[in-house]
Amino acid sequence: MKEPLEPHFFRHEYGRLVAMLSGRFGVHHLDVVEDAVQNALLAAVENWPKRTLPESPSAWLYSVAYKQCVGELRRRTRANTLEDRYRPSGPSATDEPEAAFLAGDVPDDLLRMLFACCDEAIPIESQLVLALKTLCGFDVREIAERLFTTEANVYKRLARARNRLREVEFAPGDLAVSELAERLPAVQAILYLLFTEGYLSSHAEGPIRRELCDEARRLTEILAEHPVSATPETFALLALMFLHSARLPARQDGSGGLLLLEEQDRTLWNQVEIRTGLSWLARSAEGDDFSRYHAEAGIAAEHCLAPSFRETRWERIVDCYELLDRVAPSALHTLNRAIALAEWRGAAQGLEVLEGLVPPSWLVGSYLWSAVLADLHRRSGHAELARHYRDSALASAPSQPVKEALQRRLVAG
Amino acid sequence: MPKYLCLQRSLPGGVPGGEKPSPAQMQAMYAKFNEWREKFQKNLVDLGGKLGAGRMALPEPAPDGPFVEVKELVGGYMIVSAESLDEAIQVARECPGLMHPGSGVEVIEIRTPG
Repeated sequence: MKEPLEPHFFRHEYGRLVAMLSGRFGVHHLDVVEDAVQNALLAAVENWPKRTLPESPSAWLYSVAYKQCVGELRRRTRANTLEDRYRPSGPSATDEPEAAFLAGDVPDDLLRMLFACCDEAIPIESQLVLALKTLCGFDVREIAERLFTTEANVYKRLARARNRLREVEFAPGDLAVSELAERLPAVQAILYLLFTEGYLSSHAEGPIRRELCDEARRLTEILAEHPVSATPETFALLALMFLHSARLPARQDGSGGLLLLEEQDRTLWNQVEIRTGLSWLARSAEGDDFSRYHAEAGIAAEHCLAPSFRETRWERIVDCYELLDRVAPSALHTLNRAIALAEWRGAAQGLEVLEGLVPPSWLVGSYLWSAVLADLHRRSGHAELARHYRDSALASAPSQPVKEALQRRLVAG
Repeated sequence: MPKYLCLQRSLPGGVPGGEKPSPAQMQAMYAKFNEWREKFQKNLVDLGGKLGAGRMALPEPAPDGPFVEVKELVGGYMIVSAESLDEAIQVARECPGLMHPGSGVEVIEIRTPG
């Protein structure tokens, strides 16, 4: 028998099963659900290769995991009932109503689970880890590897999220439509964060990085296709993901080094993804809403549409950054506007924008700030200042590929 | 071709349990097992399975003796056919997940009369 399963079958089944069973039994039983799903997948690994694949692998897995959940919850109920004999006033697990299955509200289990993860009582870093664990099927070690943090830290963040979910005792299906609408910005924010974790990471592990971007896009597509969450913001978010991932293949050279936008081979950009991104961008323009996602998708679209670095419509990019800075003020956006303005009107104009900016300490310490100043001063003929900023940019470069890219840009000229 | 019974045995010093594989790792295990199965298609007679609890049945009640319950020793079985004991051992050795610290395989020829 050839391997007929999709590349991420186990990981995605994990996410789907956890979402389905949490919908049935409630997110406060997430630990039971996750154990059951883990065991069902292991049973599949042990049994499937020995005979023919079940007709519906997903249904097979669901039934194995479902039975284990029921068995485990029954065991717990019995234990609780015994305890209650001595504590008659305590809540009894048998009183718990059968989790309502509100089909029709949010038909997709994954989507419900995603909304359940985005509980405002859970810190956003914990939401992100929870989503990666329950919806994307990564384990703690894999999450740590992808977020460039320690396993202990991932455990800590997960524990926070789980503690909160244990308190709430609901099934994701119980969330009312009004609550879903309220949580939508949080859901979009977590998907955006997931995407940028993958996209903006300065580390060199290309394939792993790509995986986070793909997961974010997969979940956002589900969001965009559901009436509750199909809003212009969601469309813009999905547009920016497509437009950015289209350029991913060109961001690295053959040996894993980072390439600057100017150096990238534009023929490597994925035209199908660009077209898909542009059509989502068009849909996002229906209505009067304008979000940071609109601005960012607009910028990404300009880059994708430009035949070359020189022919980029920088004036439009400057406009977009100005809008972005207005809806989501950040010194980073001002910095980017300065870069675009320098391309459009010359380095001196870019420097002027930065002179009016009091950068926050996190930005002053980062290589981005120094690198931009070094570049603009060099182009304005301020050799002394250029050298000063170049040295601090190189000293604070977070990785070798970034350092090499900076050297090419800042030293060569 | 002679047949051989392969018994997976726990070895002393192995770490019991250990970390559970992630879904991505399970996918890799699944693929590896399928590769192995294809490679030794001709040798694999019965892929067998896991063994559960068991007890040694004795002709008369035994006093406290060295009769350990079977499950503590044997985790699973399969039957392979091979030209020689060495070849049978090779099939078992290459089976993913069978050979690791704490687990080994006992390979025994199955004699048939004639």
